[in-house]
Amino acid sequence: MHVDNLPAGGTAPPETDTGPAARPPVVTARGVTKAYGRTRALTGVDLEVRAGEVLGLVGHNGAGKSTLMRVLAGLEACDTGTVLVHGSRASAEDFRSVRMAYQETSLCPDLTVAENMWVSSRHCLPRLGWRRAASDAVRRRLDEMFPGHGVSPRDRVEDLSLARRQMVEIARACLVDRLDLLILDEPTESLGPDAARSLYAYVRRLTETGTAVLLISHRIREVLSVADRVAVLRDGAVTAERPAAGLGEPDVLELMGAHVATPAATGTRAAAGGAAARETVAELRGATGPGLREVTLRVGRGEVVGLAGLAGQGQQEVLERLWRPVRRDTTVKVTRAYVPGDRQRSGVLPLWSVGDNLIVTALRGIARRGLRRPAEERAVVGDWVKRLAIRGGAEAGITELSGGNQQKVIVARAFASPAGLVLLDDPFRGVDVHTKTDLYRLIREEAAKGRSIVWYSSENAEMAHCDRVYVFRAGRIVAELTGEEISEERIIAVSFNEDGGND
Amino acid sequence: MAQLLAPALPDRARMRRSAPAAVSAVALIAMIGVCSSLQPGVLTVEGLTLVLSATVPLVIAAQAQMTLMAVGDIDLGIGNFVGLVTVVSATLLVSSPLVGALVLAGLVAAYAVLGLLIHLREVPALIATLGASFVWLGLGLFLLPTPGGTTPGWLASFGAWQPAGFPAPLLPILVVALLVYLLTARSAAGVRMRGLGSNPVALRRAGLRPLTSRVIAYATAGALGVLSGLVLASQTGGGDVSSASSYTLMTVAAVILGGGSFSGGNAVPWGAAIGGVTLGLVSVVLSLLDVRSDMQSAVQGVIVLAVLAGRVVVGKVLR
Repeated sequence: MHVDNLPAGGTAPPETDTGPAARPPVVTARGVTKAYGRTRALTGVDLEVRAGEVLGLVGHNGAGKSTLMRVLAGLEACDTGTVLVHGSRASAEDFRSVRMAYQETSLCPDLTVAENMWVSSRHCLPRLGWRRAASDAVRRRLDEMFPGHGVSPRDRVEDLSLARRQMVEIARACLVDRLDLLILDEPTESLGPDAARSLYAYVRRLTETGTAVLLISHRIREVLSVADRVAVLRDGAVTAERPAAGLGEPDVLELMGAHVATPAATGTRAAAGGAAARETVAELRGATGPGLREVTLRVGRGEVVGLAGLAGQGQQEVLERLWRPVRRDTTVKVTRAYVPGDRQRSGVLPLWSVGDNLIVTALRGIARRGLRRPAEERAVVGDWVKRLAIRGGAEAGITELSGGNQQKVIVARAFASPAGLVLLDDPFRGVDVHTKTDLYRLIREEAAKGRSIVWYSSENAEMAHCDRVYVFRAGRIVAELTGEEISEERIIAVSFNEDGGND
Repeated sequence: MAQLLAPALPDRARMRRSAPAAVSAVALIAMIGVCSSLQPGVLTVEGLTLVLSATVPLVIAAQAQMTLMAVGDIDLGIGNFVGLVTVVSATLLVSSPLVGALVLAGLVAAYAVLGLLIHLREVPALIATLGASFVWLGLGLFLLPTPGGTTPGWLASFGAWQPAGFPAPLLPILVVALLVYLLTARSAAGVRMRGLGSNPVALRRAGLRPLTSRVIAYATAGALGVLSGLVLASQTGGGDVSSASSYTLMTVAAVILGGGSFSGGNAVPWGAAIGGVTLGLVSVVLSLLDVRSDMQSAVQGVIVLAVLAGRVVVGKVLR
């Protein structure tokens, strides 16, 4: 059971008095390029991850982060260039000490937590009695990393919440007899703040024993607070490497090529006082059911209504009610369109082109007497592709696009339809800053045209773009914020106060 | 607060997963109840032996189907395959036992090759196994054009075995279910198989070859199919390639009744056993109730639908 030796099983601890630059590199990429068909994902990456450091990797979606990680983890070979592990050309054996925790997790949902450990860490488990060994190891690791995690090794992954799955995924990546490099891909997207803090404390302990950590995150402030160095990936190449100390969020954004726009939402937002005067297009009156308790809310015409709070407190149930208003306590007067958050599972039609994916909801409105009108469809698609600057154009296959661009298509699909009420189910999770800014603007523009938008987001900062925000806790609305009251700090304060509300 | 909720959750989830098997177990007990009220002799050892023996080959074939459904595939050739095995055991296994045994081993290997082809050529299992079913049928007709032949003595004596104290059919049902449980639910090979049905990407990222998982599953299904055919031959005392053609869909129904799913990832050996016995008993009950034989299939279908509906209702309640 040598998996339990961790985290001491890494390379020899580096001497504390030497600077990060003096430490030996664990994984080195030199001139790495990689192309998928015509898309050049990596155009020549030079990157060094040194023992005992946390390297933050930032970049837009489509900058090549996912590809680079797969290459560094040895899952994909690069076209040209080399990847060295401990200074020599890496074989499959060497890559065993490079582990990666995926954002979307790489767990088998039907297997138990312990069985999932066998799948990825079987080399370090005994042949007989592996189940018990894996259970012990994962429990110990989870206790170490996320105290109070509430996961049992016998739980099936599908029964765990998103946050717990993420914990298991990270623990899975760390369960190995020798860990040289740990790659964390957006580890905190679905973790709560406490779990994120525990994770980063563990990352610190790991690096003290000489393990290198590569942290990929859109949360730049988080990267800056944890990382020793920050590397900026842009258009498939590392364009900047800076020590994190002394670097500010605007600096990083600038390095990434973003136009740092202070949220102009306040200016464009309709006067809060006007909200009550708007015509109601949808409402819930004391809705109670699985996950919802006495929820009363209304959505006015042309209003952007936010659903905030911690993840899984009833926001998605509200969207579900509005999407399928079958019960008597729900009234929706207009047609609806839905933007799912999980684009892999419920969003894209993978075999269809961008244009087909985009137009599918609007199709019926454009068609005449049941016959499609291709010319009009093309015009609409072309318009949206230009408006949102969707890379690849209308003819490209949807799966050839990067995640951010796919998400643009999904959002455009809803807005291209004549729907009067657009439901957004946390659609911008893991989308880069640039795309987000475009989409926020789109939302405001469409609201100004008289569309209503109900927007659930796990990122509280996004709520600043709403006219009104309902904050949820344990299936109830605990606060309604309007106009100037809407701020990240306020939402967090409201969603956390009054403990024990969850009975 | 989250910690308080946590221990309660998995139990509910576990209950939800075993609910389908529980529903068909209830249906099973109800049917035995109906049988015994019509024929009080059913509850004796001899009665149960008589009632259960017809279900044994079906249950074993259902385990084969369950193994393939656990990797996310489906076997539409299992009925004819079992029929072919009865033909082999009524012909070759009698005339030259060694050749017969080799042929049976070859049939298991053929299943493994089938899995290999399905994986390498990326043919849907639905189509490949449907195609294979015609091969099994053709081979069976070639060996024995009309039903007949005799089974070897040892096989016949196994079929006639009547231990005192417990109904003999229970033994193969339970032993096979236990073996399949150990393989698919407890062993590392089982994790590979269910992992393939659950998330092949994760499997590949972990450096496990999905091909191996699939071949193991198909070889297991082949071996169980051979076993099912041998048991069927021991009961009928002869070979008939179309004697088990109804098994193909009955086994799928048995797995679904037992809590399996078409999407794969789940292994339900005990559920498949319960589902198989339930389905097998339906026809016994119907003949005891004097339902006309031409109506039996229809009534059987209605009963299956009723049990499935019960499963859905229970699943909703437990959600």
